Amino acid sequence: QEFQFGPCRVEGVVLQKLWQAFWAMKDIVQAQDNITSVRLLRKEVLHNVSETESCHLIHALLRFYVNTVFKLYHDKAAEFGVLKSFSALANNFFVIVSKLQASQEKMFSTHESARRRFLLFYRAFKQLDRESAVTKAFGEMDILLSWMEKFYQL
Amino acid sequence: HIAEDTSDLLQHVKFQSSNFENILTWDGRLESAPDTVYSVQYKTYGEGEWLEKKGCQRITRKSCNLTVETGNLTELYYARVTATDGAGRSATKMTDRFSPLQHTSIKPPDVTCIPKVRSIQMIVHPTYTPIRARNGHQLTLENIFQDLLYRLKLHINHTYQMHFEGKQREFEFVGLTPDTEFRGTIMICIPNLFKESTPYVCQVKTLPDRTWT
Repeated sequence: QEFQFGPCRVEGVVLQKLWQAFWAMKDIVQAQDNITSVRLLRKEVLHNVSETESCHLIHALLRFYVNTVFKLYHDKAAEFGVLKSFSALANNFFVIVSKLQASQEKMFSTHESARRRFLLFYRAFKQLDRESAVTKAFGEMDILLSWMEKFYQL
Repeated sequence: HIAEDTSDLLQHVKFQSSNFENILTWDGRLESAPDTVYSVQYKTYGEGEWLEKKGCQRITRKSCNLTVETGNLTELYYARVTATDGAGRSATKMTDRFSPLQHTSIKPPDVTCIPKVRSIQMIVHPTYTPIRARNGHQLTLENIFQDLLYRLKLHINHTYQMHFEGKQREFEFVGLTPDTEFRGTIMICIPNLFKESTPYVCQVKTLPDRTWT
């Protein structure tokens, strides 16, 4: 079982565990997001991503989730009593980011197009107030997991 | 002016989905007045506009088929119902964010069990869904879920079972006793999303062995 984002391989992360952790929080988290007319991880961010582009993109997205979304959502997770699932996801994302770090540094091509995609996501995030943005980003992790699943090999 | 509480008009607005047949259901007041009517709207998550569902405007039944409107597997959806009673009171309630891929449950497979003298063959038929590919072809569950597999069990006696698991659609349990009753169960499993159908059950009897008669 491993993720294969183009040339970047990530072993030791079980996708089912990520889904399990997210589903334990999904209804509580998504119920807090009442901005139904905005989707951060839109088609333009995730559709038709080439294999080589995928490594850069997933690295940028997960690093943002680890450094910003999880950091800012921690207290809410505690408030909702979902800290265990929250930590399971955060730790796994951290492992993926660290394992991606090494391999994606060696790759220079397709960096720019991945960066443009990430910026679409980031600008949409910045257009919302911080609490709404973090809640929405956290609630959209199923969109991210569904996309990551395409690169997962049993 | 104190806003009247109308929440009793409408409860439990949610999607019920199996094999991607997506039905919106809700409950009205327990002794809901017969003149209460319901209107349904839906939208794709991330879009601004709510769309009216034709055929589910000012209806009295408490369900609405949104299979076609929620048929894109890469999208997430919301639906909402507005209830209006005879006195003109109204209430609107929205579903949770609905993901067809995550939320749909899986029905038992369609299977043909073929008894022979010392074996039983099981042929699983493809399960077609309402989902269509870009070229218009109807997709099967196997097309949609890459990790889909079948789990088969043949109950030999109270303590002994034979098992099979795999992606192929033809299986044969061999080495069985002729002229004997067996019970087989076949389930669809989608490991990545923790989905498992309820079993299809077939009760069959192996043929008598006439070689020496």
